[in-house]
Amino acid sequence: MIRNAAIMLLFAFCLWAVAEDVSAVPQTINVQVSLDRDTIGLNEQGILTVVLSGASQDLPVPQIPQLEKFEIYSQGRSSNISITNGQVSSSVTYRYLLQPLSAGTFVIDQIAVVENNQRFKGNAVELTVLKSGTATPKQTEERSVAPDGKTKDYFLEAVVDKKNPYVNEQVTLTVKFYTAVQHFGTPELDEPATTGFWTEVIGNSAPYYQKVNGRNFRVIERKYALFPAQTGDLTIGRATLHATVASNQRQKDPFDVFGDFFGRGVEVAISSDPIRVNVKAIPDAGKPKDFSGSIGRYAISAEPDKRAVDVNQPVTVKFEISGTGNIKTIADPVIPELPDFRIYRAATNESVSRSGDKLGGTKAYEQVFIPTRPGTLEIPAISFSFFDPSDSKYKLASTRPITVEVRKPEGYIASPDVPFSGGPDRSIGSGATDIRYIKEASSGFTTTGEIILFQPIYLVVNGLPVIALIGLVVLRKRREHLSANVGYARSRGASREARRRLAQARTLASSANAVQFHTEISRAVISWIADKLNVSPHGLTSDQIQELLSNRSADFALITDISDLLKRCDYARFAPSSVSEADIKQSMETAEQVMTRIEGVRFE
Amino acid sequence: MNSRTVATIILAIALISCSVAGQTTEELFSAGNNAYGNRLYDSAVLYYSAALKTGKESSALYFNLGNAWFKSGDLGRAMVNYLKAERLDPSDDDIRHNLEFARQFSTVQMEGVELNPISSFINAIVGPYRLSAWAWWSSLAFVLLLLCLILRHGLAISNAVVRSGVNVLVVAVILLGGLTTWKYRSEFVDRRGVVIVESATVYTGPSESSDVELQAAPGLVVEILGQSGEFYSVLFANKRRGWMKSTQVETI
Repeated sequence: MIRNAAIMLLFAFCLWAVAEDVSAVPQTINVQVSLDRDTIGLNEQGILTVVLSGASQDLPVPQIPQLEKFEIYSQGRSSNISITNGQVSSSVTYRYLLQPLSAGTFVIDQIAVVENNQRFKGNAVELTVLKSGTATPKQTEERSVAPDGKTKDYFLEAVVDKKNPYVNEQVTLTVKFYTAVQHFGTPELDEPATTGFWTEVIGNSAPYYQKVNGRNFRVIERKYALFPAQTGDLTIGRATLHATVASNQRQKDPFDVFGDFFGRGVEVAISSDPIRVNVKAIPDAGKPKDFSGSIGRYAISAEPDKRAVDVNQPVTVKFEISGTGNIKTIADPVIPELPDFRIYRAATNESVSRSGDKLGGTKAYEQVFIPTRPGTLEIPAISFSFFDPSDSKYKLASTRPITVEVRKPEGYIASPDVPFSGGPDRSIGSGATDIRYIKEASSGFTTTGEIILFQPIYLVVNGLPVIALIGLVVLRKRREHLSANVGYARSRGASREARRRLAQARTLASSANAVQFHTEISRAVISWIADKLNVSPHGLTSDQIQELLSNRSADFALITDISDLLKRCDYARFAPSSVSEADIKQSMETAEQVMTRIEGVRFE
Repeated sequence: MNSRTVATIILAIALISCSVAGQTTEELFSAGNNAYGNRLYDSAVLYYSAALKTGKESSALYFNLGNAWFKSGDLGRAMVNYLKAERLDPSDDDIRHNLEFARQFSTVQMEGVELNPISSFINAIVGPYRLSAWAWWSSLAFVLLLLCLILRHGLAISNAVVRSGVNVLVVAVILLGGLTTWKYRSEFVDRRGVVIVESATVYTGPSESSDVELQAAPGLVVEILGQSGEFYSVLFANKRRGWMKSTQVETI
């Protein structure tokens, strides 16, 4: 029981502590005051916004001081509460319409809220009210008047800031929708035709109020940046707006009691007038040589990713052109050929931005410079010329030169003719960012599909020694055979000696030389046979030949013929007078025949 | 790329087609280099291809054509030409670099599987040198061997130097001849190809009604094992087999 009471006590203490803690924090309220514009015309209205924010759900209403020079109308409030980590924070936005009563510059600084006897003051804002009423030109006044002389309930107007621009100079087109009556839903706009212009939509502005012909209009603007692409007269077409506006016509139907209550809408389509723009050409006088049509106001910068590299390793330089103008159409900066570098375009990207209504942005070019030799190399200043339409002059922007320290890597061999070859980048790793450049040396062409193994030159080179070897071996074997076997040599030499003698006999073939003739015939046949049989021809008689031949089993008819021939030769040598021409002829024929027949015989 | 650039390129290609006839290989080669230097890669492809049509080839020509195809965004044909360049000049570092670089871009990667350590050992030996180098070295050994034989058997000069020379050269001729034959076989008898189309389906059989084995991508190198109708039987680096339409593969 006591324990429970103790716990209860502790719990209560905690609650009290927490409650005490909350009330102990001083309640602060932040008051933020702002104006939609800091300059308005006497006929215009400004919107004053007061944002209260604090850690309470229940923020007090701000106290707006009496402003002598303005009429103030409340435009309502919106609130926003958020709870983060148990902390409540809320903000309330109050909007007031300021209708100036006289011209001058006024400071609004007395806006405050009071909470728990504490006063939280807002910041001061300054508002200038121009006497002339800048924003309501005559043409707007005219447009607001209907043919019947009354002020219109709504109308559409299109204006340009320049009617005489240079080519590619920005012309800001503003389409304004003025309405003095309520409109329902979102009006739809048919964009004006802008043939001959490069068009970028800047966007819709926040609605504001303007007094035209003594009547208050709510104005919604939509702005376009137009860049004329050609010289001469160009026309911006009509913009047409489709909207549903509250009708102030009384309903004819007497039973339709809700007609006015719900604000019956009427669909209307209103158009602006076309606008003619005369586009000037940029002057020729003073046009720089490297000018390539970029118009606007730009600056150029260059920044390398590193300032020290090895030969053949890339340095990426980021060139940035930024400024106002049609950034999408500006020409690329001209990078001259540099003898010490190979240059490649890596990437281009552009971002469009706005300063006020002026379109501009940044175009970045990444250029890869690959040094081809070691040393301290310089990427020279890159200039970019443009035409500045705001003061009608050509101008030049340039970068600073960049110095790159190029180191000689280990194993580097200078190869000026073949870039990328033999460089240090031998490994294929994450370092490789692109393929290597083409080879430019045009030599070493061979016939397509030629395989060396089947080329005549290859076959000859390999075949010749084989032939030489075979030839030499055969030659040597033969020589060895000859020296080892005299008989073989003699049998090979036999025909030569015999044929010589036979030829000799043929020259003597007549009865006058019968003795010599038969002697030669006889010797030819005997030496022929002797060589064939590998015996000495000296003293070889007809009988011996007969015996030798029959021992070597020669043909019997051949043996008989040989011995007949030899006998006839002997007879003729001893009795030459009895030898007739016919005998000589017959002996000659027989000798030839016999020798041919012996030639064919292979003796053992 | 705006329409004007496209029109310019089309015009350029038309002009090139008219002007290539009757030019020498060297002229077409340097015209291709110019086009490449001006980043007109389509034109460069055209010039280099025309240079090849003259019946001449060089490793530089295939290399540059490979570069031009790569820059035109055709990975498959780039690989074909790099491999052809590598065959003519296997020791060139630039060719190897670009081949490896291009290979990374294939959307399907296949790891090579080592099945036969002996063949990969021999490939490692013959790989870095071109076929003609092997052919001439074996030819040199052969001619020297024959000279020794001529000395010994033809001229009967037989001393210790000649005899040991014959023994050494017989071994050299057998080794070099074998390696040359291996190199020749691997480059001219075994057919290789590269997948050149985006959606190349590999089937389990030589028809489109067969089951799909896998989906190949441009730049994959295949070994062509055989042909059946309009289908190649292919073997991938990871030893997967299948059948592909022959139009989807360009042979090296």
